[in-house]
Amino acid sequence: MKKIISILLLFTFGLSSCEKDDICDANTPTTPRLIITFYDISSPTKTKNVKNLKVIGDEMEEGIVFNESLAVDDSLRYVTSGSTVSIPLKVNDSTSTFKFIYDAFNTNPAAINTDVLKFNYTTQNVYVSRACGFKTVFQLRNVLPIVQTDPDGSVWMTEVDLENPNIESEDETHIKVYF
Amino acid sequence: MRHTLKFIFSLSLLFSMFLGYAQDVPEVSKNKDTTVTKKPKTETVKSETAKPAIQETQKDSVVKTDRYGLRVGVDLYKLTRGLYDKDYKGVEFVGDWRLTKTYYLAAELGYEDKTTEDDRLTSSASGSYVKAGFDYNFYQNWLDMENLITIGMRGGFSTFNQELHSYKIYNPNPYWGELPAITTNQKYSGLTAGWLEVGLGLKAQVVKNVFVGFGVQLKLLVMNNEPNNFENLYIPGFNRTYDGSFGVGFNYTVSYFIPIYKKKTMASETAKKEEPKKKK
Repeated sequence: MKKIISILLLFTFGLSSCEKDDICDANTPTTPRLIITFYDISSPTKTKNVKNLKVIGDEMEEGIVFNESLAVDDSLRYVTSGSTVSIPLKVNDSTSTFKFIYDAFNTNPAAINTDVLKFNYTTQNVYVSRACGFKTVFQLRNVLPIVQTDPDGSVWMTEVDLENPNIESEDETHIKVYF
Repeated sequence: MRHTLKFIFSLSLLFSMFLGYAQDVPEVSKNKDTTVTKKPKTETVKSETAKPAIQETQKDSVVKTDRYGLRVGVDLYKLTRGLYDKDYKGVEFVGDWRLTKTYYLAAELGYEDKTTEDDRLTSSASGSYVKAGFDYNFYQNWLDMENLITIGMRGGFSTFNQELHSYKIYNPNPYWGELPAITTNQKYSGLTAGWLEVGLGLKAQVVKNVFVGFGVQLKLLVMNNEPNNFENLYIPGFNRTYDGSFGVGFNYTVSYFIPIYKKKTMASETAKKEEPKKKK
């Protein structure tokens, strides 16, 4: 009888340690962002760092957060000076428009250059897991995938190239921008 | 919250084991009394001429009759759960057939309809299942007791449908704001799954031919026909699926034994005397 109880004890406690898949692991690939990499127009194989680039979604007040660690009221939180940016697209729409503000902190307003990119795409919801639910993957349209407009009369993105229309992971560059 | 619930469940399961254990002892003494009273009866029936001769044979060995037959029952846990859990409907019929002194051919047949609300998904699964295998009784009964403590194996098969009611998109960068759950009523039908399970069970005869029992099962999924762009989150008979292919189950049964034939076995007197010492 003691043997049976000990077996059952082991059994029941063994079971209670099974459940660990309730929380979505942050490393699980879920809804990806659009990855834009910046290249030097004079030597197109080399990446080039941007200067205080701020990206604001259409009809949004705050820019996309690039420095998560900084305080909410710190203006540096919303700018990047790296060579790649990750842009979250709207998952419940088929277009997303962003203002790319170059050198956003320049004291001379004439030096601040804004270009606008509009992305046209289709979405698909893909099952991930019980804990994570679904993710959305994007495919940039064949016709007019990216529409570039310029509100201030001077273009800083000399060339915008579509590298990979299937936005399924953040491990690769989807769009190359030369300036 | 979920882990606390699990803990409470494990604890109550554990305590219920002790309950089962505690109930064993009085039953034994009760049956002992009844057999004592029975003994003179058999003596009078069998022997009117030579009383001393029979008493002598009883010292060496006791003739024990094992009853063989079909036991059929229902899982009360599944049946009553439907009363307090609006997301669950289910029934399971259990049956076993005694093959030898210790082996039983066993099978379960059931139907379940379960709606599961996870953080990001709400889905339901409904379908029927069948499980078949054997139970091995390793409990040494005294005299004419017929209790069982069994270890068993089953093969299970389920055919079911799933329905995804709503889901949420997981977006780690909610720049455009959090989205509400998307309602879909996507049906996935014609799903099948197969599994193996090992179970521990206990059945005690509470009234003549009426058994109350419970068991726990550990399951291993061996065949799983999954839908496109979704997953089998709940399989009737197998229960909730985990990241690995393991599952667990529990049942609480009430069953009725239909005796069909009897076999006589000899139990030696010495073995009989040793057993009461163990119990105390």
